[in-house]
Amino acid sequence: MPHPPLIAVIDDDDAMRDALSELLGVLAMGCRTFARAEAFLASYAPGAFDCLVTDLRMPGMSGLGLLQELRRRDASLPVIVVTSSTEPECRTQAVEHGAFAYLTKPVSDEVLIRHLKAALARTQ
Amino acid sequence: MFHEQALPDRVENGRPSGGSGEPAAVDIGLAELASESIIVCDPEGVVRYWNPAAEALYGWPALATIGRRMDELFAGHDLHAEHWRLLLQEGRWRGPVRRRTAAGPPVTVSIRQTVRYDAAGVPHDVVEYGRGCQLAVAHDGMPERAEPYRATAACWELDISEARASIEEIVALAEGDIIAHLKQNPDRLERLLSRSRIVNLNDKAVRLFGGNAGRETIIARPILDYWPDECRPVLGEVLLAVSTRSGWQIAQTRALNAGGFLQGASVAGWRSLDGTRADTIYLMVNGVASDDRSAWELHASEDRYRKLIHHMPTALWQIDARAAGEVFDRLRSEGVTDIAGFLEAHPELVELAKDVVRVTEVNREAVSLLRGRSAADLIRPVRYLFAATPKLANRVMAAHFEGRRNFVEQAKVFTLDGQARDVVFSVTYPAPPEQLDTTFITMLDVTERLHTEAQLQRLEADHAHAARISTLGELATSIAHEVRQPLAAIVTNAETSLRWLSRDDFDIAKIRQLTSRIVSSAHRANDIIQRIRSLAARQPPERVPLDLADVAEEALFFVRHDIEFKKITLSINAARGLPGVLGDRVQLQQVIVNLLVNSVQAIVQAGRPARRIWVSIDAAEGGMVSFSIRDSGPGIADADLDRIFESFFTTKEGGVGIGLAVCQSIVRAHGGSIGASNHAGGGAHFRFALPGLPSSTEGAAGSIAP
Repeated sequence: MPHPPLIAVIDDDDAMRDALSELLGVLAMGCRTFARAEAFLASYAPGAFDCLVTDLRMPGMSGLGLLQELRRRDASLPVIVVTSSTEPECRTQAVEHGAFAYLTKPVSDEVLIRHLKAALARTQ
Repeated sequence: MFHEQALPDRVENGRPSGGSGEPAAVDIGLAELASESIIVCDPEGVVRYWNPAAEALYGWPALATIGRRMDELFAGHDLHAEHWRLLLQEGRWRGPVRRRTAAGPPVTVSIRQTVRYDAAGVPHDVVEYGRGCQLAVAHDGMPERAEPYRATAACWELDISEARASIEEIVALAEGDIIAHLKQNPDRLERLLSRSRIVNLNDKAVRLFGGNAGRETIIARPILDYWPDECRPVLGEVLLAVSTRSGWQIAQTRALNAGGFLQGASVAGWRSLDGTRADTIYLMVNGVASDDRSAWELHASEDRYRKLIHHMPTALWQIDARAAGEVFDRLRSEGVTDIAGFLEAHPELVELAKDVVRVTEVNREAVSLLRGRSAADLIRPVRYLFAATPKLANRVMAAHFEGRRNFVEQAKVFTLDGQARDVVFSVTYPAPPEQLDTTFITMLDVTERLHTEAQLQRLEADHAHAARISTLGELATSIAHEVRQPLAAIVTNAETSLRWLSRDDFDIAKIRQLTSRIVSSAHRANDIIQRIRSLAARQPPERVPLDLADVAEEALFFVRHDIEFKKITLSINAARGLPGVLGDRVQLQQVIVNLLVNSVQAIVQAGRPARRIWVSIDAAEGGMVSFSIRDSGPGIADADLDRIFESFFTTKEGGVGIGLAVCQSIVRAHGGSIGASNHAGGGAHFRFALPGLPSSTEGAAGSIAP
């Protein structure tokens, strides 16, 4: 890895956002956090992030809406969904909209790291 | 006129019962006024009508003769079978007859008998007119002194079958002097009179003795209830004399000292003429009604008062509390003012009062309430009234001391068989110049009512609880999200800490930070679980001062994620400085959650692009606080507006239709009202209003905006 990967994290829950940020920190990965999908899209530019970790249920634009928007922009950014929604249709929709992985909260760090590594391997 | 027209078919109590035959009643009215005796018999010789002149002539009241045979009455002096057969055959007869009278000596009467026939020519009845022959009467001597008043006699028919044992007892113990024995043993006399029942009486008796009671009320009551107290021994003697001798003709006559209402009165008694009615005794009271009726009127008014009390549908105790009044006077003169404190310090005074203050009278309802057998069970010191609520006596005494007219409290009393009843216990104290010996206690039994109310409240609470559980079920996804959020943060922070700890260069400050974040997330998770538990818990509703805006905020917690996830924009406006409301926090949260869920579902069902909910909390008319919620859904069909709060009414697929019904019952139980309408700008509009607390208690509501 020529440079530490930069991961974007979107979660409306402050505690969860901070926790993910700390986890990525101990893994020596760069991290930028956003409370809403709209805020992330405002900072988004192709190649700015190596991976996106996002919640699904959020005020404003939801995770699914974000996936659609990214697909519309033809982004190759891998998206890992981390959500408390357990409904099967959410998973199906997320995958249909191009999610790289769909993980449910609480997520174990091992699982998250495995998927992160797989996603990063794809981009780099 | 009288000769031509039929007499009424029914003649009752020696008085014609006019029924619908008003013209016939007028004729009987004339017969009543006739100076000749008029007797009507059926073809068998049984008396059907007997006018006052006949009463005066023969001495027998109509009451005692109606239904009797003529030959029994007059001992067959003239009405032997042959005479009667010829009369029915020939249709008329006239001539003098010699007949015996009630007083004994016979009387010679000139009579005319006429048979009346029905349309078929069959004898219908016999009408007899009679006039006493002065010469014959003179020979037999003048009748008893009561005789001139016979037309005004008050007559009674008594049944003494239940008094037999009592009669035998008195006869066995009296040793001759009955009247002296009765005067010495008023209880035996009372027993005798209480077991002699009134079977019939004439109008005169009703007027003179009945007080304000009607004939129907008097009949079947013991003679004791209506006979003047001071005349009891005389009546007892007459009853004993008549009942213990055989033969119908014995008429015992005694002078009667009937107080102020009859002068020169006498009472006569005799047995029934009919051998099968050995327990029937007739009484006749003669006398001139006193010109001064005041004594009688007083007697009647007291009697009326007693009857009023006796028949009152509320349990009533008459108390003589003069003993307490005397003690109070003494305490006042000693300078006592704080009577409650004084009684608290001197419980022995309260105990003494329970024994010296006595019940003097109780009514039927009181006996029934406390399950006594008779009034006598309750006519004793008042101690028993306070057995279930001892401190009640202190309060009743304090109110008396303070000169109050009334005292009302809900209390418990014990019945005589030891059961507790809930009653509304009221005391009315006398005030000068009223009779100071008359304090009234009334009790209204509310046991059943309280029981029913408690049961209803339990049912309503159960219903509301069931509806809450159902709502929580509907919100399961939203709630699961709320709980998982802090748990996910805890797991990730803990795992991050472990990763730091496994490194050689671990940063203790970082681990401290992560651990404290774990602690705060754990607290948050716990708070969320507490909120859900409180909404799911089954607890008795309480009434505490609340800020409705706070309650709405708490309610929103359960629905927030649902609203956000469904991309609905919610705006909340709470007016400042609103009064608090008195209510159950959980139940009011439930109402608001239900209304929010309803709006969310309406919006989702409509599937329109506009997705908005407006909530506002405002001051409303009459010091109320209102919560209103409007949505951008399709609104309510006009036909459903009236039924929307009914149980099991729903327009939702899979809905049970208890949500709004429960909202209504909760709001009503809080003294408020709830309504539904369609907003002019579209969408449904629900509004409920609760009574606001007076400003003095506002502070207790807590977080009211300044």
